[in-house]
Amino acid sequence: MTKARNLADNALTTVSPTELGYVDGVTSSIQTQLDDKTAKSTLTTKGDVYAATAASTPARLAVGANGTVLTAASGQATGLEWATPAAGGMTLISTTTLTGASITLSSIPSTYNHLQLVILNYKPANDNSYFCFSINGDMAANRHLSSRTDADMSGTSATAFDNTNFITGKNDNSVAQGIQIINLFDYTNVVTWKFGFSYGVFNNATTTTSANVFARPLIYNQTNAISSLLLFPESGNFTSGTALLYGVK
Amino acid sequence: MTKSNKPQVKIVNCETGEEIVRDATAEEIAQIELNSANAAAKQTEADAKATAKAALLAQLGITEEQAKLLLS
Repeated sequence: MTKARNLADNALTTVSPTELGYVDGVTSSIQTQLDDKTAKSTLTTKGDVYAATAASTPARLAVGANGTVLTAASGQATGLEWATPAAGGMTLISTTTLTGASITLSSIPSTYNHLQLVILNYKPANDNSYFCFSINGDMAANRHLSSRTDADMSGTSATAFDNTNFITGKNDNSVAQGIQIINLFDYTNVVTWKFGFSYGVFNNATTTTSANVFARPLIYNQTNAISSLLLFPESGNFTSGTALLYGVK
Repeated sequence: MTKSNKPQVKIVNCETGEEIVRDATAEEIAQIELNSANAAAKQTEADAKATAKAALLAQLGITEEQAKLLLS
């Protein structure tokens, strides 16, 4: 007996006309069509995603840990994996109030690519004193250069290292509304001179509503890694202000 | 406890966050005094330059703005 004959014999007793109507319009094997579909049950857990292990071969990839990101990984079966995103941006290493004759930021971690020192509201006790700092507390002669002239920055002039420390901008001793950014690049390398850039604005000592605007390349002609910074006013004490040291990746 | 008259220095350990404020050592005091002396010397030099410039302008009978205009 053929399958068609069986259907004819049984259909009238076990299958309703409505049920038979469900196959209306079917033009190829229903089983084959079902086999081509992906089973919902592949995904078992919140956050699961479909990922192909080969052409037409879907598989379950379980959600990764919180904070991880999906990234291409050809060595994995699905070609994907959850990974911790590469750290970037800035991390606040230290924040401290400017007080006394000097501040030493010591034991600076060597795990960053660059450093950024932000000076807020620098106010010296002595009027019109420059904000100064030295690398690793080094106050030896002729190791620091704070360029400020066109000649210094022409790229052709022989510019001498002329100071025991960097000098940046100077501020009034009663009004302090300024900000200074000091970027120190590749501070852990032990091959090159150390280079930084300082820019900012302080209150002019004569007319405090006017700005002392400054921008200076800073060069230290030693190859040691930077592990500490010595901050101090040109003379006298700090009255107030804040130093924030960031690590940059 | 009497407060010290010596300059105070602050040491911040960036790994631990520990801050220590202490009297400056003799070496540090010497450096601070040297910094102040250098600053004073620079100020004296700047003042002398300003005085000489003013005298020259007076001799020429022109203002600073006019001098800048000549050099621009």
